[in-house]
Amino acid sequence: MDLRKHLTEAFTIIIAAVVCALVANAMASRERKLALVGTYPNAQKVPVRTAEPLALPAPVVPTATTATTATIPIPVPTATTTTVQKIAAPKPVAVPTATVAPAPPPPVEDPQKRFPPHPEKAFVELHGDDVAWLHDHGALFLDARRTSVYEQGHISGSRTMSVWEADVDEKVNKLYEERNDPREQLKPIVIYCSGGDCEDSHMLAQKLWGVQFNNLYVYKDGFPDWQKRGGPVKTGSTP
Amino acid sequence: MKALASPWLTIRVQIALGVIFIAASLPKIVDPPSFAHMVYNYRIVPGSLVNLSALTMPWIELLCGVALVLGIWRATARNIIAAMLLMFIVAISINLARGNAIDCGCFDVSAAGKSVEERLADMRFVILRDAGMLLMAAQLWWADVSMLRFAQSK
Repeated sequence: MDLRKHLTEAFTIIIAAVVCALVANAMASRERKLALVGTYPNAQKVPVRTAEPLALPAPVVPTATTATTATIPIPVPTATTTTVQKIAAPKPVAVPTATVAPAPPPPVEDPQKRFPPHPEKAFVELHGDDVAWLHDHGALFLDARRTSVYEQGHISGSRTMSVWEADVDEKVNKLYEERNDPREQLKPIVIYCSGGDCEDSHMLAQKLWGVQFNNLYVYKDGFPDWQKRGGPVKTGSTP
Repeated sequence: MKALASPWLTIRVQIALGVIFIAASLPKIVDPPSFAHMVYNYRIVPGSLVNLSALTMPWIELLCGVALVLGIWRATARNIIAAMLLMFIVAISINLARGNAIDCGCFDVSAAGKSVEERLADMRFVILRDAGMLLMAAQLWWADVSMLRFAQSK
């Protein structure tokens, strides 16, 4: 065996492969192009699989009394009133005002008040109800899945921003320019991917947090859950 | 042992191994971002090298596969393929030991949406399959060694 000959041939094959890879990548469409050097901070960290959702920061809703779950409690004004009326109804006398529960404050309608910025951590995980509320209140939604998957169906109004495509930094910078006012950067942004083990939304959140977006939420159960809930879905390349 | 080195068997094994590697390389070449995701999921490659590995590895597979099918630089292509198979076996074994259930990304780069148990079972199967392909590479090596010995004995 001629070792020198083998090494020369092996080296030639590898160099040819590198050249082919670089040329093919240079000619690839935006969706199929890769940045030559990726930035994946957790590339060697094995994910810990837990069923426990992350805890949310303390909500600013003053009347929150049942903050035991991971979801932010929504004040329900009608529930308390109904109970009081049911108890009071059989009595012929007027219900004394002292026994009536104090009127709950009106529900918080400002997304930023209900979901305040959390600059100390990159993102907070949310479940369907909160995500639907944010969607109804005009929060920005980002789809971290591949563009081809986005086109097959996405949350209505969401923008595509795949962490695996070469133009992700360009898209992040564009978003930063759109929201360069610090007050704009405090508005909640919801990021989602396919739920389950999918980490693309977490990776995108880390990226956005790195450019000073301080109010990011990851939709933990992702697009499959949205579809299950019957949320508005759109197909095609436009939000 | 003589039958193992027969030209009839060797040419078939050589072409089969080449075709397998060509088939494995094509989906990765067509969709590098998805393959980069697969490489990332192994949690072995440093973050800065994930994309570069995802771009070059399929082309190495393709060129070695073509070399085997055409019979050009056969020994070198076989050795590179054997080295890659060993690398795949080690990488999957490490993740099996860690309990990190992944899609291997061997012939398909789209996430299959399987459960953790299904993926772990697939990983065990992939190790066996890669070991089988490693045996094919070993047969090619054995045929070369036998041919060399035969030539030297004359």
